[in-house]
Amino acid sequence: MDDKVTLQIRTVTKKFGEFTAVEDLSFDVRAGRVFGFLGPNGAGKTTTIRMIVGITFPDTGFIELNGERISHRVQNRIGYLPEERGLYKKMAVLDQLRYFAALKGVAGKEADKRIDHWLGRMELSDWKKKKTTDLSKGMQQKIQFIATVLHEPDILILDEPFSGLDPINVEFLMDVIAEYRSAEKTIIFSTHLMSTAEKLCHDILLINKARKVVSGSLREIKESYGQNLIAFRGTGAEDILSDTSFIERIVSHADEQELHLAKGVDPQELLKKMVDTGVVISKFERTEPSLNDIFIEKVKDKE
Amino acid sequence: MNKFLAVVKHEYKKVVLKWSFLIGTLLLPVMAVVFSVVPALIFSIKGEPTRIAIVDPTDNVASRLKANLSSEKMAERAKKAAEESLKNLSPDQQRQLETSAAQFQDNFIFVEVDPSGRSVEELRQSLLSRVSANEIDAYLIVPNDINAVDAVFEFRSRKSSDFISNETFRDALNSAVRSVRLANENISEEKLAELSRPIKFDAKGLDETGAEKDTSGVMIASFIIGLLIYITLAIYGQAIMGAVVEEKETRIAEILFSSARPFELMLGKLVGVGLAGLTQLGIWIATIAVVIGVMATQADFAPIMQSVPTISPLMIVCFMLFFLVGFFTYAAIFALVGSMVTSLQEGSQFAFPPIMLMLVGFYFSFAVIRDPGSTLSFWVSIAPFLAPITMPVRILAEMPPFWQILLSLGINVAAIAGLVWVTSRVYRVGMLMYGKRATIPEVWKWIRQA
Repeated sequence: MDDKVTLQIRTVTKKFGEFTAVEDLSFDVRAGRVFGFLGPNGAGKTTTIRMIVGITFPDTGFIELNGERISHRVQNRIGYLPEERGLYKKMAVLDQLRYFAALKGVAGKEADKRIDHWLGRMELSDWKKKKTTDLSKGMQQKIQFIATVLHEPDILILDEPFSGLDPINVEFLMDVIAEYRSAEKTIIFSTHLMSTAEKLCHDILLINKARKVVSGSLREIKESYGQNLIAFRGTGAEDILSDTSFIERIVSHADEQELHLAKGVDPQELLKKMVDTGVVISKFERTEPSLNDIFIEKVKDKE
Repeated sequence: MNKFLAVVKHEYKKVVLKWSFLIGTLLLPVMAVVFSVVPALIFSIKGEPTRIAIVDPTDNVASRLKANLSSEKMAERAKKAAEESLKNLSPDQQRQLETSAAQFQDNFIFVEVDPSGRSVEELRQSLLSRVSANEIDAYLIVPNDINAVDAVFEFRSRKSSDFISNETFRDALNSAVRSVRLANENISEEKLAELSRPIKFDAKGLDETGAEKDTSGVMIASFIIGLLIYITLAIYGQAIMGAVVEEKETRIAEILFSSARPFELMLGKLVGVGLAGLTQLGIWIATIAVVIGVMATQADFAPIMQSVPTISPLMIVCFMLFFLVGFFTYAAIFALVGSMVTSLQEGSQFAFPPIMLMLVGFYFSFAVIRDPGSTLSFWVSIAPFLAPITMPVRILAEMPPFWQILLSLGINVAAIAGLVWVTSRVYRVGMLMYGKRATIPEVWKWIRQA
């Protein structure tokens, strides 16, 4: 965790009339790591992101990018891909990209050079003069992504970037994200798909009902939840599995079971007992909880 | 500032590079030319000459009628008519008149009829059969006693709908009969002309300073300018609303707001589309100027030209200024409506109030045309929302004192500042509200809070 903190959110609260959208939220985002911003719908994700990109401003607290308060001046260093994507329907791809680039302070030949580069990379060069309505949904998504990175931002905020993309393009986008990460850029990745977050993110922030629930590196979080989880496949273990002094809960999957051990039970001890009682074991593995489990558990806890 | 300019450029190009702009810009001048020039051209096309048979027992009327319809006489009459409406004829216009008069030369071909003792009824039958045989086109039967109270001149023509020829013929016949009657009374033609010379009625308006000016045509021109401004404002206002709704519907607003200040974005949009409107107006004004310029050199249009009000460069500057004032006023209102609603259909319903306001301005312009100096004209030409339409009309009808123009501009610019302020507040909140239309109390809250 020696990477530089680029984005600081400190005790941020945002209210809309009586409704509190974000309450006392603080976290740090580091360069060169992918930061997963997770939470159920209506948790305050969009409001927080809008404050980071300077669309709205916190009532109290502050947000700083590289030590500078978020303002319209800082916006040029941020690349934002909103969840709800939009392009001008009847405008040529090239014109739209030029406009979005100009709004981020990149214009003229430089803009055209970058647009050509990215369209080439996305294999969309032939579509330069086409209108949005002529493009497929996936193509539009890629155009939108190009608009997000044209001004080479320091920080990339991607809200559900993979929705609607086919697997090839998902892979492609992942590569670009990896590229940005190795260039020591900051990436915030917002999603409700835990499996994607698990694959991509180094750090996690889970918010629910306007408040922070869990935060930290994915590793640490998983370890703190993963002490007593066993992936098990075998026969003749019915007696032991129904012993509540050992097993608190069993979640059955297609061809294996997930055993949640009771407090204070040593997995080693359980394995020994199984072997002693003649259970035929084909799989016995200490696992970590999936992000999904943590998410569900934490969100349920609060309710 | 660069971002603001980027928005202006983007919005300008978005409007100007559209087909509808090109068509709209070209169509108006083309239509103006079509409606002004083409009818005149069509009427100047010479018809086939009318072959006419005249039955006149004494030949007194017939001989005079033939003389009246001769090309020399026709030219003389046309010249006289032109001289009555125009003070001075340039040599060029004189020549033009003569050529157009010469066109009448062969308009009538006289076919001889030999009455030789036949009764009127027999003659009529023979003439009718000649008409059916397509030997003649028309005939005229002059009554025996042209002085009788119930004397009727029977004129029958296959070309009864050729009203220009018919009118010419009737005038010529009238004057022929009149001179026969005068000759019978021993009054010379010259004497009569001298006595019945029409008075010269010199009708001109006076402006504030007491200087003379022509009022004919001012009304039509004022009406046209009022209508033009009203239509342009309505079209561009709705275009702005459409653009705002599109950015809201497609959620482009989110990207825009994460790139530039909402105020910059909105003002850039207004300025960009406003410049596009000004471009169009400029093209129109230039076209009208060229058309009027060309018409001024053509004698055929001399009577029309005479009634075209003189428009000074100062007036054009005023029109442009008030167009911009009107544009910003209504564009701001339409942008406000656009950021409140969720779809274009919903927007068109809510476009009703601003359209009504414009119509009120347009209707008031009639009152202004009738009496540009009245108290009512003063108030409606300085009132916000109305002035953009009524003031140009008033300027054209009668140049108001300069301080009134400045006062009107001042009041309206202040109103625009207020409107843009209100709109930008509604815009920055409304553009990010999806799914439902904002209510008036909500909008009021945004204005006070934001």
